[in-house]
Amino acid sequence: MNYIRRFFISGNIGYLFALPAIVYMVALVGYPIVSNFILSFQDVTVTTLNKASKPFAGLGNYSTLLGDGVLRTSLVNTFVFTLSCLAFQFVIGFALALFFTQKFSTAKVVRGLMMIPWMIPMTVTALMFKFIFSSNVGILNQALQACGLITQPIEWLLQPRLAMLSIIVTNIWIGIPFNMILLSTGLTTIPQEMLEAASIDGANKRQTFLKITMPMLKPVIASVLILGFIYTFKVFDLVFVMTNGGPVNSTHLLSTYSYKLSFSLFKYSQGAATANILFVILLIVSILYLRFVYDDKEMS
Amino acid sequence: MSVRKDSGRRNNVALSCLSIILFAIIMFPLYWMIVTSLKREIEIFQVPPTLFPRVFNFDSYFAQLKQGDFNMFQSFKNSLVISAAAMLISLVLAIPASYGIARFQFKGKKLFILSFLVTQMLPVSVLLTPMFILFKNAHIYNTQLSPILADATIGIPFSVLILISYFASMPKELEDASRIDGCNRFTAFLLVFLPIASPGVIVCAVFSFLYGWGDLAYGMTFLLDQKLRPITAGIFNFMGQYGTKWSYLTAFAFVTIIPVVLIFVFMQKYIISGLTSGAVKG
Repeated sequence: MNYIRRFFISGNIGYLFALPAIVYMVALVGYPIVSNFILSFQDVTVTTLNKASKPFAGLGNYSTLLGDGVLRTSLVNTFVFTLSCLAFQFVIGFALALFFTQKFSTAKVVRGLMMIPWMIPMTVTALMFKFIFSSNVGILNQALQACGLITQPIEWLLQPRLAMLSIIVTNIWIGIPFNMILLSTGLTTIPQEMLEAASIDGANKRQTFLKITMPMLKPVIASVLILGFIYTFKVFDLVFVMTNGGPVNSTHLLSTYSYKLSFSLFKYSQGAATANILFVILLIVSILYLRFVYDDKEMS
Repeated sequence: MSVRKDSGRRNNVALSCLSIILFAIIMFPLYWMIVTSLKREIEIFQVPPTLFPRVFNFDSYFAQLKQGDFNMFQSFKNSLVISAAAMLISLVLAIPASYGIARFQFKGKKLFILSFLVTQMLPVSVLLTPMFILFKNAHIYNTQLSPILADATIGIPFSVLILISYFASMPKELEDASRIDGCNRFTAFLLVFLPIASPGVIVCAVFSFLYGWGDLAYGMTFLLDQKLRPITAGIFNFMGQYGTKWSYLTAFAFVTIIPVVLIFVFMQKYIISGLTSGAVKG
């Protein structure tokens, strides 16, 4: 008892405050990560789910997945999806951020309202865009037909490449505000005097942008891109609701394919293995991000 | 001078108009959803489409009241319960944890911060299957407790990281002063530090609630009973059942975003601060 009391006196009392949260996270996040790892080396299906001893499968699940065409498609899709979303939402978000740093009456209010797409549940966004892209009642087809650009309605969500495109467009819509607001905040940290000084020295707008704004924004740009990568790479709801991986498994991401393996096909171990592939890629990117932030902080 | 002022004013008007046009373009999907929910089924299928409902029709909303299995208002209530409970758990655990980490030196502190950061980047897919098995074994599968517990794992790391910077920025003198006034470590935390950190606590409350509100994966996987499921899972089911009944679907979707819009209107300041500090400072 005395020892315990001595332990918590001085700084160690910090443990006492932090302990409940840590226990909670270890039980509900730490333990599942470990058990997901173990699960991926076992052969767990519906029949073995409730049994005490589960058959060991070694690397069996991973080698099965290597030969699985759908897994390869999902892996490629996840990268295509992430990188194309990132590129467009960054460029559009940046353009909007620059636009809203100009001084005009509605700047602040409208920029704030632009956050709404980012906040609404992805399920709702997915439904909204499913309606827009729908081949018979969708406004997109109706508009294209009205303009005379197409004669037959396009089946946006029923053709593999177009379905992927539709999903990407939807996710860009969600990602724009995130990029815009972070870049806007970054832009406000650039001292106004610096930009004024440059223009007095005869720099034109393009030169100021390339020589001052961009270098000053570098850390923010890097954060936005890496965080954007992490958030986009693990997207689940959007694809699950819009196409659920269809048509014929052509739009699966690693996240939705993992879900399908576990909860539609009841191949829990293969689902776990797929999730682990996703996890490892994200972990590598996260570590890169943390090292980047950490280095940045040490410098300042 | 007056010429310059004039051109400045004209510029202001032009930019303001442009910003509103940009806003209208970006918000069009949302507008389209709301308008559709107020149209009659025949009008939705009309070509060319009407940009504004010719007759306002609220049937899509009222019809939901009667339907037993897909009761929109029941699932709305479920979502409220699940998100509010997850928010409470997040706050109750995260507030003291962030205080402890920010104000005291102890071994393993850096490791804790690092693990909270990594958890924030974790995909749901990794946790779904093992949580599903865990909840089944704990006999809380198919009760609202399971999505509540799962949703809080998103709110906790976010809140801890946000609040650490709040607590760390408070001066040491504050602690000394509260000691002199007769506080011990716990009462100092409750009576002195916590009130000052309240803007941060609001940010955390808002985000923890929104994480729960937006969740689909947990609510759908851990709850089998439609009557217990959150509204996002309700929409998803409804889409499977009545895939082309767009007036009902859009009405359902609109009801789902009402709390989000309300939170946004009243808490915009906190949301933007949470987003930027949570993401940039990490």
